[in-house]
Amino acid sequence: MDGVAQLQKQLVDYTASLFQEGFLDEQFNQLQQLQDESNPDFVVEVVSLFFEDSERLLNELAKALEQKTIDFRKVDAHVHQFKGSSSSIGAQRVQKVCIAFRNYCEEQNIEGCLKCLQQVKHEYSLVKSKLETLFKIEKQLIAAGGSIPT
Amino acid sequence: MNETHPGGCECTPIPSTPMDTPLRNVLDRISGFATPWRRKSCTAPRGRRIFHRDVEQEDHQFQYGTAHCLSSYYSVFVARLAIMVMLAILIGLLTILTWHFTRIYTTKSLNSLAYGLRNELLQRPISRMWNIINSTSDITTAQLKLSEYVFRRYNKPATQAEQVELYEAMRDVTWALFASRKALNAITINYRNGFVQAFHRDHRNNNTFYIYSDLANYSISAGGSNEINPLSSHQGWKDQSIHGNISAIWYQEPLDPVTGEKIGKAKPIPPDDLINIAGLSEVPDGVASWHVAVSKYTDSPLLSAALPVWDPSNESIVAVVGVTTALYSVGQLMKELVEVHSGHIYLTSKEGYLLATSTNAPLLTNTTKGPKLMMAIDSEEKVIKMGARWLQEAYGNNFSQRHEIHAENARLGQEQYFIDSFFLKLKRLPLVGVIIIPRKNIMGKVDERAFKTLVLLISASLCILFIGCICIFILTNGVSKEMKLRAELISHLDARRRAEASSNYKSQFLANMSHELRTPMAAVIGLLDILICDDCLTNEQFSTVTQIRKCSTALLRLLNNILDLSKVESGKLVLEETEFDLGRELEGLVDMFSVQCINHNVETVLDLSDNMPKLVRGDSARVVQIFANLISNSLKFTTSGHVIIRGWCENSNSSFDIGKFLLNKKKSQPAHKTKLKEQGSHTKKACKQDNRMILRFEVDDTGCGIDPSKWESVFESFEQADPSTTRTHGGTGLGLCIVRTLVNKMGGEIKVAKKDGPGTLMQLYLLLTAPVDGTEQHCRVDFSKQNLVVLLALHGRMGRLIMSQWLHKIGVFTVEASEWNELTQILRELFRIRSSVYNNGFDAHFSLREPLSTKVLNIQDTRNPTFIILVDIGLLDLSTDIWKEQLNFLDSYLGKARFAWMLSHDTPNAIKMELRRKGHILMVNMPLYKEKMIHILEAVIKERNLEVQKKSSNTLRTTKEGDLHEYLEIDATQFDVASSDDSDISEIGSSNSVSGSHTGEKRRERNRKPGSSGYQATNNCLVELTRVYSKENYSTERDPCHVTLNSHEVQNEERKCCTQASLSSEAQSESAEQHLVISSPTAQGNLYSSKAVNEQKSLEGVRILLAEDNPVLQRVATIMLEKLGATVFAVGDGLQAVDALNCVLSAEDCIRESIFEGRNKRTQTEIKDFPSYDLILMDCQMPKMDGYEATEIIRKSEAGTGLHIPIVALTAHAMSSDEAKCLEVGMDAYLTKPIDYKLMVSTILSLTKRTA
Repeated sequence: MDGVAQLQKQLVDYTASLFQEGFLDEQFNQLQQLQDESNPDFVVEVVSLFFEDSERLLNELAKALEQKTIDFRKVDAHVHQFKGSSSSIGAQRVQKVCIAFRNYCEEQNIEGCLKCLQQVKHEYSLVKSKLETLFKIEKQLIAAGGSIPT
Repeated sequence: MNETHPGGCECTPIPSTPMDTPLRNVLDRISGFATPWRRKSCTAPRGRRIFHRDVEQEDHQFQYGTAHCLSSYYSVFVARLAIMVMLAILIGLLTILTWHFTRIYTTKSLNSLAYGLRNELLQRPISRMWNIINSTSDITTAQLKLSEYVFRRYNKPATQAEQVELYEAMRDVTWALFASRKALNAITINYRNGFVQAFHRDHRNNNTFYIYSDLANYSISAGGSNEINPLSSHQGWKDQSIHGNISAIWYQEPLDPVTGEKIGKAKPIPPDDLINIAGLSEVPDGVASWHVAVSKYTDSPLLSAALPVWDPSNESIVAVVGVTTALYSVGQLMKELVEVHSGHIYLTSKEGYLLATSTNAPLLTNTTKGPKLMMAIDSEEKVIKMGARWLQEAYGNNFSQRHEIHAENARLGQEQYFIDSFFLKLKRLPLVGVIIIPRKNIMGKVDERAFKTLVLLISASLCILFIGCICIFILTNGVSKEMKLRAELISHLDARRRAEASSNYKSQFLANMSHELRTPMAAVIGLLDILICDDCLTNEQFSTVTQIRKCSTALLRLLNNILDLSKVESGKLVLEETEFDLGRELEGLVDMFSVQCINHNVETVLDLSDNMPKLVRGDSARVVQIFANLISNSLKFTTSGHVIIRGWCENSNSSFDIGKFLLNKKKSQPAHKTKLKEQGSHTKKACKQDNRMILRFEVDDTGCGIDPSKWESVFESFEQADPSTTRTHGGTGLGLCIVRTLVNKMGGEIKVAKKDGPGTLMQLYLLLTAPVDGTEQHCRVDFSKQNLVVLLALHGRMGRLIMSQWLHKIGVFTVEASEWNELTQILRELFRIRSSVYNNGFDAHFSLREPLSTKVLNIQDTRNPTFIILVDIGLLDLSTDIWKEQLNFLDSYLGKARFAWMLSHDTPNAIKMELRRKGHILMVNMPLYKEKMIHILEAVIKERNLEVQKKSSNTLRTTKEGDLHEYLEIDATQFDVASSDDSDISEIGSSNSVSGSHTGEKRRERNRKPGSSGYQATNNCLVELTRVYSKENYSTERDPCHVTLNSHEVQNEERKCCTQASLSSEAQSESAEQHLVISSPTAQGNLYSSKAVNEQKSLEGVRILLAEDNPVLQRVATIMLEKLGATVFAVGDGLQAVDALNCVLSAEDCIRESIFEGRNKRTQTEIKDFPSYDLILMDCQMPKMDGYEATEIIRKSEAGTGLHIPIVALTAHAMSSDEAKCLEVGMDAYLTKPIDYKLMVSTILSLTKRTA
């Protein structure tokens, strides 16, 4: 029982730290609220959807920015999508970089866009690892027989 | 840009940022150029606006400017100087040229003239000289010829007698010649033998003499020697003559000058004494000779010529003939000539001896040897002397031979002279003529004139120069002044533009901040909602959190207000154009505020005239916001009395007399609405003809009033009439500012008007359009024929007065009572006469007032009236249990009259229960206005009709009245929630809930209302008619503006929804109490228990089509909606959404056809079973086809089918322009991402219920 309690505490702390560091925002809370008996893996599902989508978008973005003549509208659309999906899972920091990215897009600033792409990738990988860690802890907790604290 | 031309532009509205950058550059440059001028003006700074921000910069500029000033001053000075110098040079050149030309040409012509004159002057004496010389020579020649003739005749006189005869002949001939020439001085003949004959004329005394030598001394033989030696004869002659002369005796014989007769005796004279006798010595070569001689008897030189006379054989000289002429006449002529010019002329011989002058100065000098010729340089005449000297100095002694001399500027003594000399070449006697004329005489005037002209020219040019310089100075000064002014103007314009721009930036910034500001607030509220949902909160925590929730909402609203204002300022406010029921909105508002009014002991009265259009087009939210602000403002400052909202319609375009008349009437007695019905309908017709109309409103309160000096300024931002109000009443001073901007935006005006008595009177008008179809709703029952009598037992004086006036106007008798005792008295009065029922309960005897009693009498005259008694619950004494007694008293009238109760929001439930139990079914909530009254009247009429019907059919008389009674009640819950919510809005002096800003909050509020009331947004104020009668009976009689509930079940279900919605929205603890007021006990019971469940499944059975391209968002939204019980069909883009919908539509069309064929009444429910969509959630930005496009297509396909599927936009943009765009393409609502699911639920509910 101690192990469960410890895991629970760890999970809560970790989640809190994620919020504190600004990786996540209240949208993630909403997601977690939506998770219940009928959709036990809702958060994981959505987040993995987000991961898939993000990888695709990042690839497309990288491809689009490698072109000689960059179609900024396309880039903008991709970033917009990325912003939408990141905001809907509450990946706040990714979202913020996306906003900056879009500004550069509007200015047609190639260097800014490339810089932002790197930032977005970085933030994305960060949030991905964080979330994966979070899910791992949750899994461990469930495996240990505990319930996820809400 | 409009204002580039400053003016454009000016100025002109707000310049857009990117476009004015080049302009600004130019302006900067200009102002930079103009800095020196501006600096100058700095020395006398008038009321210049200095913006705080610019102060430092200004300082800096000033320092920089003073340094700049000096150099620019110099540059200007130099420029001026340069212009002046150029002018000077120009004028100088002109002057010099003028002078030069005039001078040179005159001088030249004058000089040539003068030369001619001088030449002429000289020529004449010379020609005279010529004449003299010529005539002398002529005479000499003539004498010679004659002499030769005579000698030939008397050739070789041998004897003395012949000799004498010869002499005699010679004498006669000579005399003839002499006499013919008066100018001759003398003619002499000197014979070889020494005999001399001569005639002499003395011009001084005009005597003529004949002079001859003594004959006796001469012999004829003397001629022989000559013959022999002609060459030596000369010598011999000379000797002889000398000898002879010495020895000879000459005689002088005076003669008559004319006849030549002797007139005197001859007297001897010494030889050569009187005249020179030309002898052989003078003709040495035997040719003619000339010389100038002097005689002691004449004072002028003599010119004499001599010729030898040869004998006929031409071998020897026989005699010498001499002619002498005086030069005196030449001098005379010269004098005459020169006199005019005051000059001098003189003639000299080649050696320089003076021959003739134009003066009287002697020409000869008397020396010891006798008179002698004088040299010119020794002349006594000074001028001649000096002239001769000057010539000598200038040209040496022998100048005359070589050339003629013309000197123009010879200075002699003090004066300048012209000196000209001419050389006259006579044979043997060269002459030099000199003319000396003082320059003054010829050129004097010219010189003088020239000098004067020069002086004049110079002075004139100096004057011109001076004036020119002054002009330049003045001109440049004027120009510089103008430049100064311009520079100042430009700098002012610049400053103003900057200020405007900065304020504009501020507004824009605020408007753009909307999203960023709201997001955290939304998060806070959302988190609080989550917290509230948490079950494990203690009661205290719960109330605290609820309080925080309320405060957050208030804060958000304040934020929205500020954003509203900035949005209006930055010109981004877009007004909606939708139809709405203005009256109903206002009624809702009054209902809402009435709660507050009651608390404050203030009466809120709505007084709308009948000619107000039912439906108008415009932005309902904004209109409501205007009135909410005004009313809350009035309420805030009114502690007792009333707040009246008056409204009437005025036709905007038509100049109908009626309209004016109405207006005038209104103004003269605004509270008194005594309009004839025809007038009203007329105006309505006019309004219908063209749809724009002016709606005039007044908000009249009895508060503390506004000082007239602040009447304008209260509409400014952050302006409050009294600074202390913030302390006592709170508020930011934004409310009225927003109101004014909104009113102006709607083409209206607002102002504070003068009012009698205390309080404030706000007058405003709005320009709104009425919908074209204009469904005129007046299918109302004509109450005047219904024999109705209304007893108004109301507490509020104003409301009662207005209501009774209106009722009176529509033909309903009214009796008024303001307190319990009065009511009882009137009741007794009324019913004592009509029926003998007498109640003992209250036996007090009051005598009715006069007008009332006549009224009562009037009423008694009407046949079979229906009494309606409207009782304010406040008339009952609720503090004790007396109210039960009072109710019992009224019970006795229950059969004779219909009772309608005015409840207030805080009426205890027990009383309501009691009333209901007693069969008082008609209950309305407190503020009474026309619409409520109409419903009461209608309800009563219907009931009466029903009774009549029932009586006639005689059925079921036994049925309990209470059950059959119309169950008329006002559902208090809805507006209680609203008003409790709004009370704190008004506390912060801002808009009410309905009039929030463009994002979620507003949506939420607006949508919550219909959600909570079940039907239209303002339905809550209406009397809900809940009928237990069979719906078949009355379904045809539905009032168009009400929705009639069909059954209790529906109502219950409805109420459940309300509960959920209100719970989900906000303020549970606040509304908890008011929920208790809900009349239906079942609903009440459900309230808390069903909370969680209801919340979870509030969207049960709703089918939603979700069009969202983002998989993550799609998933989240799906789960969210599914959790709420909705069925979700998700598609990836707009195209799929359209396709999905088309399938359904086509399927539905099939069924529709079958409906029409089958005429089955139950098909409606069948349609419900078919899987169509109740709502579409549409993302705006999607690949392939975006939300806007998809919506347009859907709406197009719907056109004509009468269907309208609600579409809710999902967008990441929060600006109103996006909202406007969404609504424009036909979407019904608008949600921002990330999805706030409470807002989503309320939105979906409102939309699905509307179509349900």
